[in-house]
Amino acid sequence: MVANINEIQSAAAALLNEGKVKLVLGYRVRGNDRVPAFVTQADQVGCLAYDSACTQNLAAYLRKGEVRSRMPLAVVARPEVMRSLMLLTAESQIAEGQVTVLAVDEQGFHGVLDLAGTAKLLNEQYARIAPDSSLMEQLAKIEAMTPQERSAFWSEQFEPCTRCYACRAACPGCFCERCIVEMNTPQWISTAAESHGNFAWHMIRAFHQAGRCVECGACQDACPQGIPLMLLNHFIAREVEREFDARSGYDPQAEPVIGSWKQDDKQEYIR
Amino acid sequence: MKTLEATKLADLAAALTAAGYRVIAPCQRGDQVHLECYQAGKTLRADVIPVNSAKDALFPRSEVIGRYRFEGNEFETVPVAPQAGKTVLLAVRPCDAAALAPLDAVFNWDYKDEFYNAHRDATTVVALACTAADDQCFCTSVGGSPDSTANADAVLRPADGGKRFILESLTDKGQAIAAAGQAVLTEGQAQADPPAQVAPAFDSAAVTAWAKDGFDSPLWKELSLACMGCGACAYTCPTCHCFDIQDEATRREGVRLRNWDACGFGLFTKHAGGHNPRHDQASRWRQRVMHKFAYFPERFEMLACTGCGRCGRLCGNGMSIREVCSQIEQAAQAGVK
Amino acid sequence: MTMTQQEPAMSNLYQPTVMRIASARDEAPEIRTFRLEFTDDQYKQDFYKKYRVGMFGLYGLPGAGESTFCVASPPTRTDYIECTFRRTGRVTAALQDREAGQTITFRGPYGNSFPIDQWKGRNIIFIAGGIALPPVRSVIWNVLDRRSEFGKVTIVYGARTVADLVYKDELAQWEAMDDVELITTVDPGGETADWKGKIGFVPTVVKDSAPSPEDCVAVVCGPPIMIKFTLPVLTDLGFAAGDIFTTLENRMKCGIGKCGRCNVGSLYVCKDGPVFTVEQVGKMPQGDL
Repeated sequence: MVANINEIQSAAAALLNEGKVKLVLGYRVRGNDRVPAFVTQADQVGCLAYDSACTQNLAAYLRKGEVRSRMPLAVVARPEVMRSLMLLTAESQIAEGQVTVLAVDEQGFHGVLDLAGTAKLLNEQYARIAPDSSLMEQLAKIEAMTPQERSAFWSEQFEPCTRCYACRAACPGCFCERCIVEMNTPQWISTAAESHGNFAWHMIRAFHQAGRCVECGACQDACPQGIPLMLLNHFIAREVEREFDARSGYDPQAEPVIGSWKQDDKQEYIR
Repeated sequence: MKTLEATKLADLAAALTAAGYRVIAPCQRGDQVHLECYQAGKTLRADVIPVNSAKDALFPRSEVIGRYRFEGNEFETVPVAPQAGKTVLLAVRPCDAAALAPLDAVFNWDYKDEFYNAHRDATTVVALACTAADDQCFCTSVGGSPDSTANADAVLRPADGGKRFILESLTDKGQAIAAAGQAVLTEGQAQADPPAQVAPAFDSAAVTAWAKDGFDSPLWKELSLACMGCGACAYTCPTCHCFDIQDEATRREGVRLRNWDACGFGLFTKHAGGHNPRHDQASRWRQRVMHKFAYFPERFEMLACTGCGRCGRLCGNGMSIREVCSQIEQAAQAGVK
Repeated sequence: MTMTQQEPAMSNLYQPTVMRIASARDEAPEIRTFRLEFTDDQYKQDFYKKYRVGMFGLYGLPGAGESTFCVASPPTRTDYIECTFRRTGRVTAALQDREAGQTITFRGPYGNSFPIDQWKGRNIIFIAGGIALPPVRSVIWNVLDRRSEFGKVTIVYGARTVADLVYKDELAQWEAMDDVELITTVDPGGETADWKGKIGFVPTVVKDSAPSPEDCVAVVCGPPIMIKFTLPVLTDLGFAAGDIFTTLENRMKCGIGKCGRCNVGSLYVCKDGPVFTVEQVGKMPQGDL
């Protein structure tokens, strides 16, 4: 548990007592696990916990009606979760005044912030979250594969997928009320938990997250089958960084990378 | 009695494969253990409950139940004969074997589902008695036990401090397993290890009673707050059996598929006219609990949960039958309606 | 209360039969009736052994899927079956794109039925709204095909506008029958210049017509709002909840009690229904309807 956990708890209690928020969304310990906590009374804040095992991205709850109805609310947010909040702001899912951030990282609690303050903190303190070297090695291996090898590699990764959509449920960026896989006129993506359907689902979800994914890892953690989804998401995030010099979640007013167009966009790939 | 050295479980699997069985056993796959088709070279793990359940072998994730061809504007339907090869579920936990009872019931209660029955009839169940349990297990709360032999054709009992297994055949199918594996089995004596201690987690009768009166309780909303409506719990559950029927076709031909589905998904009960009786996660969680603990028992005189604990192990948000039912029991005791 | 149960069915229980569309008729905007003929004589024989009015089937087109509708014609008619449905999504659109002479698939009959044999000698009032007339129409014709067995027959049918009324020519036939009382209505504003029927919502029209509950059963089917306001009218008039019958239109997929979709409480609408008395519906978890 981070050293100043009681500071998080006090800050949460103060926000509730002062009526600044109606709900504090955080984490609590249950047995060996860390699970989401929904604290609505100041005398319950003692359950709030934070350590490196708290990996769920709580920003995903901001699309849930039962949570939204309790805005304004506060979220215990580590840098990736803060980035999700920036994305949701940029995409008009939340607005200043609805969400207060209880900023945390591995060292502990760093204060109560509004969304503007969160943006500032992210750009000052967490601007260069570097992916770890073993990940970069794995990505390099995939990059060195031929298209046929890559296809075989990804087909093998997706074979255990049961189409439970835990990845989608865990992702703050997946807030569509009706997901593409739920459309049936036409049925864009096969719903069968089989090779071609699984391939299409994961590729399309990864592409729908391109330029939006904050690489929090919640999807991979949520996957019951242990599919290495972050390899795909990191791969695409590096592409986006290379091609558009953009990383998601640092600017609450950013225009969507893939979804917007400018006159001076590169065009040399059009041959 | 017939015994098998613990280190020779893979040899038994190989012998059964050679005897023509498709062997479904708990195998190491990356960081996880999966119930999957055993092949030489795979590592068998009898010490960990697999991520997926035995239902996968009898009720596949996606199954062809119809075929058709097109000729211009006309079509021709092509009957599909249910296909199932001789299969052995090797070293499945008693909670998985117990789950066959609700599956048998729902797939046969009036119309006999030939697809399920073909798999079921072709399958031999060799259970593995549990000598260890984790904090998610709750078989004893739902009428099961770590060494139950319900629905098993044979059982492997860990013995002599885990050094070996006793193989006990319970049916003709179980005898056939012993015969097929005789080259790796030994005649001898062994002392079965004591079964795991699984302390009761909740009183299922109390849950049933509260739920029956508590349909309109506001508690369902609180209980389900952490749930984000995916299908991980239902898909990994050994008793969940809801499915969707989908057609997939090209201009020339196509298939009709039966695919897993779950009551936890938002669109499960949505009518064509737009009305959705279960339009929030609270009502969908209510359905999940009541189906397992009230509706299914009313219909089939058994619970639709065997306490395997997979839902709790796999839900990243801490939802599980164990957790929710414990909270319900507490609420019931506190007089909360 | 006996609701007929059909015996367990055929081999490969998901295998549909092929039906030929003998004729297609547009009833109202986006609502079409198909008259279907069996192409498989054995399937037809098995069908009529089991079929009682109220049962439903799964009508489909390979490549698109299947959709659940009642069998809109009674078992007294053995040369064809009929279904009437609205174009609402992928499957209904694909079905409506089929023409007379072409084929579709069918699985059925499934579900339970209206216990009309228990209504012999009794009066019957049929109340329906809009697209919900088809299941009721099936019972109406079953009763009219066996007219002498039943008492007074009253039909109250309404739709939003004149154009939305279905089975318009049959309404004229019922109107012309001496031993049937027909009351048609459209919502206020839905009438045309030459509309001769009533103007008003179905529950109000029922109340105004004040049917006697004496030795009378009611068959009611309509959009939720119509049912919501009609049932109290009948209750106030003295109808017993066990004498009012309806048919539920839940989301169904397999039709045979396995896929779980139509599960309401411990009941499966596809097996224990779709026909229920209001008394039975009252015992169901209302939040699941």
